[in-house]
Formats: sequence, structure tokens, C-alpha cells
Amino acid sequence: MQDAPRPTDPKKPAASGLKPTRRQVLAASGVTMAALVAARLAGFKQLTPGVTLPGESTPTPEAIASGVPTTQDWVSPLGKPEAQVAQLLRRATFGATPTEYQTAVKDGFAKTVDRLLETTPADPPVLAGADEASRDKPIKPNDLQSWWVDWMIKTPTPFAERMTLFWHGHFTSDYRKVTPQTPYIYWQNLTWRKMALGKFRDMLYQVTIDPGMLRYLDLGQSTGKAPNENYSREVMELFTMGVGTFTEDDVRAAAKALAGWREPLTPAMVDDMIKIAQERGRPAPRNLSADTVKTGIFEQRNAYVGAVKYLGETRQWDTNAVLDKIVAQDSVAPFIVNKVAEEFVSSAPDAAYVKRLADNFRRTKYDMKSLMKSVFTSPEFLAAPSYRALMKSPTELMVSSAKALAVNVSSQQIARAGDGMGQGLFDPPEVGGWPSNGSWVSTNNVLARVNFAINTLSALQSVPAFKNAHAVQLDSVVSQDTAQLLNATTDDASRWLILLASPEFQLK
Amino acid sequence: MSSEYTGLSRRDFLRNGLVFGVGSSALSAGYAAVPDVFARAIFAAKQAGAQNDKVLVMIQLGGGNDGLQTVIPLGSSKLRDLRPTLGTVADKALPITKDLGLHESLAGVKKLYDQGKVAIVQGVGYPSPSFSHFDSIRVWETGDPTRRQQDGWLGKTIAANYDSAGHPLLGVACGTTSVPGMLRDLQATLTVIDQQQTFKFGGTADVDGVMGTLYKHTPGIYGALFDSSMSSIRDTIQQLKTSSTKYTPKATYSDKQNLVYSSKNQLAAALQLASELIVTGTGVKVLHVTLGGFDTHYTEMQRHSDLMAYFDSAVSAFYQDLAAYGQSDRVLIATWSEFGRRPNENASGGTDHGTASPVFLIGDPVKGGLYGETPNVTKLDTLGNLSYAVDYRAVYQEILNGHLGVDGKAILGQSFDQLSFVKPAAH
Repeated sequence: MQDAPRPTDPKKPAASGLKPTRRQVLAASGVTMAALVAARLAGFKQLTPGVTLPGESTPTPEAIASGVPTTQDWVSPLGKPEAQVAQLLRRATFGATPTEYQTAVKDGFAKTVDRLLETTPADPPVLAGADEASRDKPIKPNDLQSWWVDWMIKTPTPFAERMTLFWHGHFTSDYRKVTPQTPYIYWQNLTWRKMALGKFRDMLYQVTIDPGMLRYLDLGQSTGKAPNENYSREVMELFTMGVGTFTEDDVRAAAKALAGWREPLTPAMVDDMIKIAQERGRPAPRNLSADTVKTGIFEQRNAYVGAVKYLGETRQWDTNAVLDKIVAQDSVAPFIVNKVAEEFVSSAPDAAYVKRLADNFRRTKYDMKSLMKSVFTSPEFLAAPSYRALMKSPTELMVSSAKALAVNVSSQQIARAGDGMGQGLFDPPEVGGWPSNGSWVSTNNVLARVNFAINTLSALQSVPAFKNAHAVQLDSVVSQDTAQLLNATTDDASRWLILLASPEFQLK
Repeated sequence: MSSEYTGLSRRDFLRNGLVFGVGSSALSAGYAAVPDVFARAIFAAKQAGAQNDKVLVMIQLGGGNDGLQTVIPLGSSKLRDLRPTLGTVADKALPITKDLGLHESLAGVKKLYDQGKVAIVQGVGYPSPSFSHFDSIRVWETGDPTRRQQDGWLGKTIAANYDSAGHPLLGVACGTTSVPGMLRDLQATLTVIDQQQTFKFGGTADVDGVMGTLYKHTPGIYGALFDSSMSSIRDTIQQLKTSSTKYTPKATYSDKQNLVYSSKNQLAAALQLASELIVTGTGVKVLHVTLGGFDTHYTEMQRHSDLMAYFDSAVSAFYQDLAAYGQSDRVLIATWSEFGRRPNENASGGTDHGTASPVFLIGDPVKGGLYGETPNVTKLDTLGNLSYAVDYRAVYQEILNGHLGVDGKAILGQSFDQLSFVKPAAH
């Protein structure tokens, strides 16, 4: 699976200036006419029965061939300004509609980075009924998922959604354990969005006392007398420092030091508790009243009193002191930076690169916006080896498909399809969130991605014109086989299917 | 009448059986024919008594299964002290000796145990245990407690012993969307099937061929991964078309489980698909399925009991189905979990991450009974955890040598004390 040496000078992509005719490309790829006929007869027109297809006169996109690679790797187009901008939009957002692409190309790379980073995140619409979620009226998981997907597609500030998704995978929780009978999992999404580009340390505190997290990792159940170690371990291992940077004694010490939080009660939850007591013929719990905050509530009587030794220091701790101690560890900056780099730059980030960004991250007192700016403006982000070095997650794939088509794709369908590709939102497979890049590939998931493209196109009333989608979405850099199929295809539905289902479109 | 019969080692046999499938270019033309040829070869071998048709099914109990709630020491006052609420599970346990009982929800497993079809290896673990889910999962997946290896021990087994390139159904994960770490190996071709009914192309019949063209010679670091996946997808779809017409479950599989939360794995459906792949002669050798939800940090009593009941019903159905098809003599079921749990109960009526726990080996190939040592709750280590008695790789070794008949040392890098839970081959 090792890739061949890549062209190191992004200004000289191997296929630059090479504009073979369709005939030349086909000849070069050894395609026989028989194969072409087969492709043409592939039945794409029957794919979407009832769809109004444009006439046969659509010109063959010869330009598609311009990036046919001559090596085993993609020919990087990143020397070109429009390809740079497209890469930014694929990674910092969820791809682009043709209009968003045009705007960004006109503005240029630097200005687009600034716009993405500096525009105040737009809040999603309220999810009806979520604040009042109760035993009888739980949040429907598909409603919650499609509410978010819908906003990923429509938001004017997609970078904020991309970062919210990043944090959802990092500080993860699932609706199964948190349960949809409280607003917690919904609140968590709102909180992550608010904190996404601020100081990491501030976010870490909000994460620790987030009601959904209190439940997901059991800190809301932990007491000084009998501490629960779940959160104390994962806050170090998965959220900040990484495995192997602390001892089992540190886990136990932090479990004591962090104990004392409880979940807040909403009026609907209080009503539930009264009803449950009535059903069981018991008196309603005393002093039961709803809380006014949407965060955990600290009960001193459940805290641990006394000094403990934690990460080498013995003292009486509280939650803020624990988090300060964690953030003071050398391991935190590289741990976070490495994860960011794996999702935004390279599946195997270079150690020197990580160190450089991590040093900068520390200097800015763990400012996330500064970190993301330094990532997007680093030479590595646009270097040739970075081209198509990352795999879109299922959510990124589906939202970018909707944007590419620039028509109304059902967010409910997207939400449902995520499960089958390995990414149900608010439903990660484990406390470590989702895997990334190559781990998304399995027979099951590749098939599900292809079927998503088929189902999406089949559900459309009419298929949008293909025009230059190969340029907007794929930088006109495609494999010989993709070029061959696109060239041999004469209707837009088929072209869209080839594009959306192609290996090229799975990458970012 | 065993090994001399074919005059070939198992490995040679399988390679020869797959000769039609070698070379990916040949596949696009004739792939549909390969599995049946292979299947016939397997059955021919089985009728003649060659021991090369064995199948392994690994069941992952994800999250860290509490061994002390599964194979329960009876009459231990110390355990009652450590587990004020959870310890009462011993009162209803199903005794297998005077000192040990199975969880009350494991009635089906107990029945098989009484028939000599269940081996329980107690106190399985590894030196310098990790309490991290991910770290410890990796230790179990790679068969390497030093955490240096990347490939899964079963992926390695497939790569070293079978020709999976033309036969993606040699190693299959059912009921999940991604390749389980145990099966991962760059040299092995693997198939993942979440749900059988959705494992086909939408659209028209021609999509299959178009995707075959689209995913060919794909450049870049993910190219080979994409292309081999698509090739396997196309093979598998063809195979499932055939196998689904040949199979009707002969037992009742039910995923209608009232789990308090958490596990989204459809264990019964996954095992039903496993059964279909086994009994229809697809040539499957290694299967992996998962039941999650064992990370019981709080209110463990009900959660764990529900999971035990689910496991018991799914595994019982699976065994009955295989037996009804006359195939249960080929199949070894083995459980694994990244760790056990702390003997001391926490404030939330749950338990935190621990160490050693029991492994179940189920099926006709098994020599039933108890192996290893019952964990000693009166002698906990400095962290309050159990000491392990059996290295988990000794379990792997017996599966490899005794059941699959491959060279365990070549996969595990060293030898371990033999645990003879696999019946010796008939002579």
C-alpha cells in the first residue's frame, strides 16, 4: 500500500499542460470499444426511473482527462489557486456547492481562511421539544441526527460545524447511554459548538461538567467515598494526555479529586421522577426541584476531602486544579495537535510538524482558533503529499454529496445512512469516538458509500446539470478508469453517480 | 485416516483448492464460480475425513466482561464483602462444581457444559496488564502484550496459511461495519458484512460492473485498499446470492433483547449470518462477531444479566442451528474480552477496569471442563486486582494448533504451556 514517490514540486504536476483528447486518453488506458459500449449500456438511465434526463447533447467533458495520473499516486494540482481553495473547503468544511466554490476561488486562499475562522458561528435552529425531553417524550435519535446534518448542509458557517463534529468525535458521548429522555445529548452539541474555537482549557472544564458527559463517563455518579474511575481515566487517556502518560495511582487519585458532581434536573425530568414515584406507590422524593443551569452541579458533601498525590503533587484538589494540572503536562499539546493533524492534514503526521504546531499551541495558551489557523496556513497543508491523503468520514462524504449536488438531499436519509457506513451521529462505536482515514474502509462501508450515491440520486426529482462538477469537486484529477467512465457516459445522472461513488470523491 | 489422506498439508490443500481464484484479473470473469468449487472441495475432503474444514468463530465481549459475575465463585465471604450488591448473583448461579457456578442467565451454555461441549479457561490475562480499553484490546487483537505488533493474530493466520486474495470469505466479520483488529493484516483479504439484506448494490444490475471499473488501479495511499474492497464486495455479493437460497435457519435467533442501553450489536443476526456462511460451504475459516456493552461502571447487576441472557440465547441458537445442519463438529466458538473487572464494587453498583477473566470455548471440537485456575479473591494485587493464571496466548495457541491445525508458534512468536481444550483429531 505504500505510495510511489510523489512529485515534490507542487508547481509542476506531472500532467500539467497535458490535455489529451478523449481518444488519446482512451487509447492510453487500453480501453477497447467493447468496454466502452459496456459502460454506456451500464443502465444508468434506468437507474433513476422517472427522472427527467437532459438530452444527449451534453458535451463530453474532455477536461476531465487533464489530470490523469502517470504515476501510482495522484498528481497533485495544489500548485493551482483553485485547487488550494478546494482542498481547504473539503477539509475545513464539508466541501462546497458550486456557488461556495466560486466565491472562495474569487476570494483566494488567505481570505477564505480568514472568513472561515473569523466569522462568528451561526447557531442552529432550536430542535423542537428537545429541552423538554422526558420519559414519555424522548428526543428521537433520527430527529436529532438529521437536525444536525441539516445544519451542516445549510449553515452559513460550516467551519464551526466541522469543528463541532471534530469535538463530537473527541469528547464523545452516545445517546444510548446518555438516553434521549433528557436534553443532555442535545445540550452537549450546543456546548461543543460554543466552545469549539476557544481555549482548550475552558472547553475541558465545560466537558467535565457537561451533563451528557457526567452521565456518559459516570462522573455524575462518583463520590469521594466510592469514586468511579471512568471519567478520571478517559479524561487523561482519550481527551488530553494519551495512553501511557500516567499511572493507575493517578487514575485513582483523580477519581477522588473529581468526585462530587451531579446532573442538573429539568422541569420535565422532575415531573418524570414524581410520576415514577406515583406509579410505584412511593412518596415523591423530597426537596425535588428543577435546576436552572444546564451544567453539572457540585455537591460538596459528595466530594473527597483530604490530600491526595496526583501527577506527582500532593494537595487537596478540586476540579479546576485537576484540569490545570493536566493541561500543564507536556503530553497534552502534541496529543491534541496530532489528532487535529490526522483529521485535517495527513493520516501520518510528521513528528517535527506536530512538534512545531504543538509549541505554537502552548504559546497561544491552547487557543484552538490559532491552532487551526496555523494548520491551514502551514506549508504542509498544501504540499503535494497532502493531496488526497485523508479519507472523508461518512458524515463528510454525505454532506459533501448534498453540497456537490446543490439540491435538497434529505437530511433524514443522510442521518439513517450513517449507521451503515460506521458513523451514526451521537452514536460512536466506543468511548474513543470514531476511527479515521483508512479505518473507514471495509467491504461493508465502501458498498454503503456507493449505495448512498445511488439512493441519493434515485430519490431526486430531477438531477442537476453536471457541468464542470469534475473540476469543482475533483480538481479534474481522476484515475484513468474514472476518466474513462465519465468520458463514456452521456447523461448527467450517470456522471453524478460516477463522481459521487468514485474513490476520488471519498478522499479529501 | 487423516493427514495421509490427501497427501497434502492443509495449507497446500487450501492453496490448491483456490487455484482457480488466483490472480485478480481472472476474478472479474470467473469469480462467481470460485466459491462453489472451493466449497465442493471442502465437502469432498470432509467426507473423506480430512481435518481441514475447521471453522473458528470469535465472539468479542466488548468493554471488559466481569468474570466474577460470569463464572462465579460460590460461598466466598470475601467476594461478598467486596461486592455488597453484585455478590448476591452467587445465590442464583447455576453450579458446575461445588465451588463454581455460571451466571443464572447462562442456562443454554450450562446445558452445553453438561454435555461436555464447553471448556472454560479461568484466570486468563497477560503480564503488566493495561487498564485502557484500547491498549488492552490491541494486546488481545495482536497477540502481543508488548504492544509492538500492528497486525491481528487472526489476520496473520489467514495471511500465512490461506490464500485469501481470491477468496474474501475466508475471514469475515459479521454485524459490524469495520474490520476488527484481530482480522487486520495488509496481506489478508477480509470481508465485513453488517447486515446481509443490505449487502448488495442498489440501482440496476449493471452497477456491479461499473463499480468494478471505477475501483481499479486506483492511485494513492488508499488505492489498493479501495480496489481490493470493491473486488471483495463483488465476490461476496455473488456468494451471498447463492448461499441465501441454500440456507434456512434451523433454530430461533432473536435480537429482541431488552438491554438497558448500549450494545447496538445484533449478535443473533450476526451469528445467523455466520451460520449461513458456514453451512452453505463458502469456505469461511475465521469469523468475528461482537457483543458490546460490558463496560459496566454503574448499575451492573441488571446490565450484565441482560448481556449474559443475550449471549446465551444467541450462542445457543447458533449451536443448535449448526448441529441441525450436521456441521457443529467443524466449529469452535471462542469468547474474548479486553479485561475483567475489579473485584471491589464501586459506589455506582458497578465495577471499574480489572484484569483476568474467563474465556469460553464452545462446540463439538471442545474437550469440555475447567482449565486454568479459579481467581483468588483473597489474594489481590496492590491495585486490588486478580492475578492471572493463564497467558491468553496459550488459548490462541491451542486454537491454532489444535483446531485450525496451523503452526501457532509461527503466529505467536513463541510457545506456551499446552491447554488441551480441543479434542485430539480422530484417528
